[in-house]
Amino acid sequence: MHQNGVKALDGVSLKIGPAETVAIVGENGAGKTTLVKHVTGLLKPATGVVTVDGKDTRTTSTAQLSRRVGVAFQNPDHQLFSESVEEEMSFALRNFGFAPELVEQRVRWGLELFGLEEYRKSSPLVLSGGEKKRLTLACILAWDPEVVILDEPTVGQDSIQKEKLAGTIRMLTSSGKTVVVVSHDIEFLWPMQPRVVVMKAGKVLGDGPAAQLMQNKEILDSARVAQPQLVEFSERLNKRPDVPFADPLEARRWVEETV
Amino acid sequence: MMWLSGGFIFRRGTSVYHRLDPRAKLLISILMFATTLLVRSLYELAGVLSFMVAVAAVAMVLRRVARTMLFTAGFSVVIFVLNFIFTRNLETSLLYAARFVAIVVSTSLFFITTSPDELEQVMKTFRLPRDVVFAFVTAVRFIPVMFLDTIQIMDAQKSRGLELEKGNVFRRVRNMIPVLIPLVVNSVVRSGELAEAMESRAYGAVPKPTSLVEYRARTTDKAVAVAAVALFALAAYSFYFVFPAQIL
Amino acid sequence: MADILEIAGLSFRYPDSPKLAVSDFNLSVPEEEVVVLAGPSGCGKSTLLRAVNGLIPHMYTGEYSGHVRVGGVDVKGSTMRDLAQKVGFLFQNPENQIFMFTVERDIAFGLENLGIPRAEMRERVDEAMYLLEIGDLALRAPHELSDGQKQRVALAGVLAMKPRLVILDEPTSLLDPKTAAELVDLVGKLRKELGTTFVVVEHRLDLLVKVADRIVVMDDGRKALEGTPEEVLFGDEAEAYGVTVPSVTKLQKMLAADGVLPPAGLLSPAELAHAVEEERGR
Repeated sequence: MHQNGVKALDGVSLKIGPAETVAIVGENGAGKTTLVKHVTGLLKPATGVVTVDGKDTRTTSTAQLSRRVGVAFQNPDHQLFSESVEEEMSFALRNFGFAPELVEQRVRWGLELFGLEEYRKSSPLVLSGGEKKRLTLACILAWDPEVVILDEPTVGQDSIQKEKLAGTIRMLTSSGKTVVVVSHDIEFLWPMQPRVVVMKAGKVLGDGPAAQLMQNKEILDSARVAQPQLVEFSERLNKRPDVPFADPLEARRWVEETV
Repeated sequence: MMWLSGGFIFRRGTSVYHRLDPRAKLLISILMFATTLLVRSLYELAGVLSFMVAVAAVAMVLRRVARTMLFTAGFSVVIFVLNFIFTRNLETSLLYAARFVAIVVSTSLFFITTSPDELEQVMKTFRLPRDVVFAFVTAVRFIPVMFLDTIQIMDAQKSRGLELEKGNVFRRVRNMIPVLIPLVVNSVVRSGELAEAMESRAYGAVPKPTSLVEYRARTTDKAVAVAAVALFALAAYSFYFVFPAQIL
Repeated sequence: MADILEIAGLSFRYPDSPKLAVSDFNLSVPEEEVVVLAGPSGCGKSTLLRAVNGLIPHMYTGEYSGHVRVGGVDVKGSTMRDLAQKVGFLFQNPENQIFMFTVERDIAFGLENLGIPRAEMRERVDEAMYLLEIGDLALRAPHELSDGQKQRVALAGVLAMKPRLVILDEPTSLLDPKTAAELVDLVGKLRKELGTTFVVVEHRLDLLVKVADRIVVMDDGRKALEGTPEEVLFGDEAEAYGVTVPSVTKLQKMLAADGVLPPAGLLSPAELAHAVEEERGR
């Protein structure tokens, strides 16, 4: 898919292919969520075109585009409404025309994957914040979109929940899905070594592999994006590694070999 | 929904009219409203409407008022048709239809030039209980917030395959349920959070709270109020005695 | 210095709940300290905070035992009116604690409620706006503000009441890292200039380490861990309780455990790199 827009977004051109992991970073107001909304046609470009899977977002409804692109918005309270968790999960499936037996199957699968079976018959509104977020993600994965976009998935989550989320993302990419994560949480994104798109004031300042972009102080400072701790650490060493460490274990191994 | 917001939601302005004491603005709108009810001919109504347009121009809200008039005119076609069916009188039906537009505009003029703070002041002047005034002002303050929430909820549900633009009337109403429920739930949660914040800032600690800002009527405001009443009296007099009823 | 906050044996159960939300909790906080409260969701943090500012038991009833004292005064026996002037509470969602249509009027909200005379109110409102650097926003409406600005407005409203203790409930969750860092600096500045004590509930510990004196971790209504940031982050249990340990700290822990580095305080990425180079030099 690629696009080009003005005002809140200025001349953005982006192509994202299958099985990619992309992180979109930038300060609040940089246009990240606006960009995401263009992907499913919630917003239409003033100039330029957005195509998803060959379809133009101006002539296809959001509901149809969402069949291919699942978006997990930041606030689960903006979408939970059913009497039970299982109904909540079947909502989208029924909208997309899944047969009843398949609906049942997908609901069961989703609940299991996210450890929510015990809440099957409970009202989604009584779940905790973290559980609600898992539920909204489960709802999306149930209809098996090719692309999954997560808008600030780590807000308010503790480290255990974040680990699980990272695992889920790994699972999605390894099964061939494209995952786009919009997030401030650089530390969460860094170990995944995604392709990083840095945005500021509606423009794309940089687009490339995490290792490369996170070393670009100029872009990071301009976009007010923090540098991952391990990148700063790698840079400050006199004898530097070729590529900044992706996680502490890698760093430890290297340090212990060279000290 | 959009025209409703254009017609009744306050937006900051710097015109002389905006700066009037809200009680003067209220008086003007009430008098306009009353005048509309007194008119008996299309000429008189045209006079009242042109006055309203003039005020709108002074208040620099002409475009919004014009748009409100246009949309209200759409609704008033219904009134026209119904009236015509029953009275078979073209002029009366037109009068009633146009009167509806005038009524809406007179009310709209007040709300679009008066901030919630000023509304609060007006309500206090009428000695309404503090809780009522507070509830009202807070509700108005959250209108734009709820508007935004609604859009976000619709976005979220559309992204789950909900079609809000297709289908017949019944289907469309049913499809609003996944939008209305989160909206209502969020409002309830919001009230709870507001209550906590209110308690935490000592709401109700003292029977007569003080006020940071004081609103005092200036001479200009009083002069405008007097002029408005005088104009109204003149209009009423002329409608009843100078230009006898041509149409009832 | 006397303890500004004293929680002793506090237990609380909500009316419809089978289990205790807070169980036998003890905590003493001296003045001018910044305490970070962390823990997995559902651990009772929210309940504890509300027991400190008085919403429990004055707004929320339930089974209450033990006591909470703020500035030497028992919370249960005080009125919300008195407590509001001792304990400030910045709620998580800035939107839902701004009532008025104008910023300065909202900051004055608590003062109006207390019947403070106009001249004094004006002074306190101006002072609060100055401290939070939002003077230019005085006449704006809340929907015209960004999330970070709304938060400052809400905080100004809290500070105008001149509380000795301020509670911040997940203040950085809606902010981007740079704005969050600015907020943390602000907390440090307020602590120094006003002598205010802060209790901050946060998941993002890496941001608060700069300014925190102590970290308390809750789990299942009880106190699970307590200590200085070093003690908690270097300990083995932090991660089990959902505390996010910064990656460089994890590295430091591992290197120290393996004997590669001598034990030291919490090091920043640059400091750690320097320490590694020093070891290499030997």
